[in-house]
Amino acid sequence: MAASVRPLLERMIFRRSSRAVFVSAADGWRPSPRCYATPSCRSFSGGAAEKSTHFGFETVPESEKAKKVYAVFENVAHKYDVMNDAMSLGIHRLWKDALLRAAHPQPGARLLDVAGGTGDIAFRFLEYVGSQKRRRDGRSASWQDICEKDPGNREEGEEGAARDSRVVVCDINKEMLKVGRRKARRTGLADGVLWVAGDAEELPFDDAQFDIYTIAFGLRNVTHVELALREALRVLKPGGRFMCLEFSKVTHPVLARLYDAYSFQVIPVLGEVIAGDWKSYRYLVESIRKFPAQEELKELLEDAGFCCVGYRNLSGGVVSLHSGFKL
Amino acid sequence: MLRNVLARFFTESFFVHRTVKYSPSIQATSSPFASVRNFTDVKDESQQEFDTSLLEFLVCPLSKKPLRFEVATNELINDELGIAYPIIDGIPNMIPQEARLVQKDSDSPAQE
Repeated sequence: MAASVRPLLERMIFRRSSRAVFVSAADGWRPSPRCYATPSCRSFSGGAAEKSTHFGFETVPESEKAKKVYAVFENVAHKYDVMNDAMSLGIHRLWKDALLRAAHPQPGARLLDVAGGTGDIAFRFLEYVGSQKRRRDGRSASWQDICEKDPGNREEGEEGAARDSRVVVCDINKEMLKVGRRKARRTGLADGVLWVAGDAEELPFDDAQFDIYTIAFGLRNVTHVELALREALRVLKPGGRFMCLEFSKVTHPVLARLYDAYSFQVIPVLGEVIAGDWKSYRYLVESIRKFPAQEELKELLEDAGFCCVGYRNLSGGVVSLHSGFKL
Repeated sequence: MLRNVLARFFTESFFVHRTVKYSPSIQATSSPFASVRNFTDVKDESQQEFDTSLLEFLVCPLSKKPLRFEVATNELINDELGIAYPIIDGIPNMIPQEARLVQKDSDSPAQE
């Protein structure tokens, strides 16, 4: 992979599109009280009429959506990475790199990657933090570093361990986790990653555990987005950052037409040829159309209680990177 | 980079039965095609150990209370609610619908 091609490619893609609109919404932030009498909690009351939601362009009862989404990803798990490369012509790697660069994690950070099945974000996080650490170590030593390296002053081993970065990958789909774990062992990054099968709407983690919460191309598959956002807020430490990479609305009209044509004509065909499953990929492109656009998602984040919410369009709005802080 | 990706996509998607040995590398961006070819390699999958360092993070998704790791049944038990979450292949399954009720008389799957 020529090192020189990559920055050129990034410039081509980002320059055409991205307005770095990290809109500060501090003044517009309405602190949402922790009341549970919201419509999204109707699912907790037994006996209420079953709400329906979208599964691509279909309308299905909410209880069905989770099952159908599970089936989709169970079918595609083994070809997931191949298909990502084929459908996005490898550009999904640049999007994920952009997410990590925006997050800019430091050594010792704890990342929760939700819907992170095959581990792309987790591996990039470990690489990034590793390179940050090497950069830090390469700098001339500060007095603190010299004191710490002195064997007489060295603290307990747990102190060193606590400074290690950890990633927890949480996905509802066990097949995707297995594929991810296999990949981890193959690339030698298995040590820093923990794998958990869990529901984004009910995370099995205690409050204030993580520095960064990422969800890359997974939020549109969640049945109740507000619940997932609320859980994200809960598990983040104060000062923690929520980052969401998701397909979004293309801003330029001509590009939008081309993108639609590509999505509906080419992607299901690729799905059939490579993964033998065109329906799953038709669900994929339909679910993208049904997901809220950039501004609506920003509002959802603000409603959930995140501060300084902003977003940045990548590739002309094909993908948007949303960010919010827990303060 | 794109040319490489396309070239490999076109060659390797039609030769999925070719076995190629991959030496483990530190790079995160290894070939995604590896997972396609080697998913029959299940020898090291069956007896995965549960990583107990996960216990510092995990709580019950329903009550958010700490869990107890039961080595004998390889489950994470919430004694308060009386439910057990299975650990399959070393990956804890923390989905409430798939937890098991731990009761002396019945063993039916728990509901949310």
